[in-house]
Amino acid sequence: MFHNSSQKKFWIYKNEDELEQLRCAANEKFRRKALESGKPAAGDAMLLERREEDALFRHYERRLLDFCCAFKPVMPKSVVGTAIMYFRRFYLNNSIMEYHPRIIMLTCAYLSCKVDEFNVSSTQFVANLLQETPAGQERVAEQILEYELLLIQQLNFHLVVHNPYRPMEGLLIDLKTRYPILENPESLRKSADDFLTQAAMTDAGLLFSPSQIALTAILNSASRAGLNMESYLTEFLGLKEDKETLSKMYDSMRRMKTLLKKYELPKQEEVNFYKQKLERIHAEFSASSNKRKRGYEEDDHMAKEPRLTEEDWTDEDLL
Amino acid sequence: MEQYSILGRIGEGAHGIVFKAKHIETGETVALKKVALRKLEEGIPNQALREIKALQEIQDNQHVVKLKDFFPHGTGFVLVFDFMLSDLSEVIRNYQRPLSPAQVKGYMMMLLQGVAFLHHNNIMHRDLKPANLLISSSGHLKVADFGLARLFINQGERLYSHQVATRWYRAPELLYGARKYDEGVDLWAVGCIFGELLNSSPLFPGENDIEQLCCVLRVLGTPTRNTWPEMVDLPDYNKITFKENPAIPLEEIVPDTSPQAIDLLYHFLVYPSRQRCSATQALIHPYFFSTPLPAHHSELPIPQRGGFPPRQRLQAPPPDFSVDLPKENSVVNPALLRPHASCL
Repeated sequence: MFHNSSQKKFWIYKNEDELEQLRCAANEKFRRKALESGKPAAGDAMLLERREEDALFRHYERRLLDFCCAFKPVMPKSVVGTAIMYFRRFYLNNSIMEYHPRIIMLTCAYLSCKVDEFNVSSTQFVANLLQETPAGQERVAEQILEYELLLIQQLNFHLVVHNPYRPMEGLLIDLKTRYPILENPESLRKSADDFLTQAAMTDAGLLFSPSQIALTAILNSASRAGLNMESYLTEFLGLKEDKETLSKMYDSMRRMKTLLKKYELPKQEEVNFYKQKLERIHAEFSASSNKRKRGYEEDDHMAKEPRLTEEDWTDEDLL
Repeated sequence: MEQYSILGRIGEGAHGIVFKAKHIETGETVALKKVALRKLEEGIPNQALREIKALQEIQDNQHVVKLKDFFPHGTGFVLVFDFMLSDLSEVIRNYQRPLSPAQVKGYMMMLLQGVAFLHHNNIMHRDLKPANLLISSSGHLKVADFGLARLFINQGERLYSHQVATRWYRAPELLYGARKYDEGVDLWAVGCIFGELLNSSPLFPGENDIEQLCCVLRVLGTPTRNTWPEMVDLPDYNKITFKENPAIPLEEIVPDTSPQAIDLLYHFLVYPSRQRCSATQALIHPYFFSTPLPAHHSELPIPQRGGFPPRQRLQAPPPDFSVDLPKENSVVNPALLRPHASCL
């Protein structure tokens, strides 16, 4: 249940500013670390600014979505939603300059499959990297496993994600059974689904409960079809007497729609430029202490050294 | 890991070795479950993920083990739990006398409270059995080992594995290969554990899956479309047929048992999962409100894990005096003391 979940307790934030502060802090942390490293290249000009990080983040998040949607066997929506949520949670407290989103996004998808009991083997998983040779796929699989524990730790071991897909099914059933004014609730599905997909690519899931997002999706879909469903909120969800909750609800919906409207994919030239920067940063700073960063302590049993760094394959190979 | 000093090995669980250890700062004794990434090619095992997943989403409950901490270690990681002295299978096996009706009732109440809590939180345990019911040093029973636990939200139309639960406690629908099932599988297991507590031996000790079904059918009778309408839809329904066989009254299976206990047992051991009594309902069954009342946890046996054989340990030393013996046996005759007193 959502109301006593780790999601509600630890991963729902007050507002957009709070999220931005966390991300700025993560960016700042890496900057300090880079400066302290004393490397000559660690100048401000070389590092990514928050805005630039954000563009790259959205680029990789989109790749994650595309990867999941093209996945064979077909990935259930909840697995995709959970993967994207992991990705967002991870980069709330970590800079993409610290951990390369190329491997983190795949690790998020892999972990999400396991947690949501969508059982694919690691071989099957990386076989979806169609551009990779079998040897390349094997290397990616190794890297995913190296980052898996780090990801779990950064998620603070909170693995269960509540997605808005089931609340939406629930609302559709409720509309069909209790709200006969609406002739064909199923007609709302398509556009509501699109809304949820777009919402997953915004901070909605870090600000609102899954059922709020689902309700907004439905109402948004209705209003686009020229239908007024206000009476559903007032009469059937019992908000008529509760003016305060109702106005809060409307406020949340407005904020959510603004989030979706604001969303845009970064331009390709922009992405290419920042990516080059990112590669230089990772070449400069990341190679040194990989093992510790990946969550595993030094240990005699540690079977194998990471054989290579991420630079051996590029994310152009992913799709 | 530096925060703990290892005191010894407790045993080997489904996904790793369990150590007894002391938290150096607090002096608290804990159990460390070390999850090694044995299958390197798949990363962190699903069982460990399920355990973390389930235990991270629930609040504290007196009758569910608490995941106190977790941290990476070596090539795997460590889950930290409260240390438990023993488990219910040891209690059943080792206790010198059969458990008293009040004691059985005490255990059942704690078990049902734990299960009710899990089901309320949408968690199916899927592997309830005496060995997974741990006993604390204060006599409390706590449900443990969530390696097969499953959240029954978010699943939609997805299918589950029927290869869950230890055979003796596996519900009949699982034995027939059901891929869609519900928390009823836990309630069946509760019924089996109840019977085992009453009899001090397992109720359906099948040697293999087919024999397991035979054991169940022998007691409950061959299911019919009347007693189990959903049966015909189960995957393996047509693969096996059994000779018609009437049910044996549970009074004969669990002799010398109060009628209320038998009635409650009947509520768990029924074929259709939906008809099994929920844990919450069971807790208000008259069984728990009739004499003897459930034993307090301090009145329950606590065998030492891996310690001395309990038979020896539990044998009380010869009493110095007892209210049942003639007074002369334990009181010193003053006349005998006189010579010693005179020299003072």
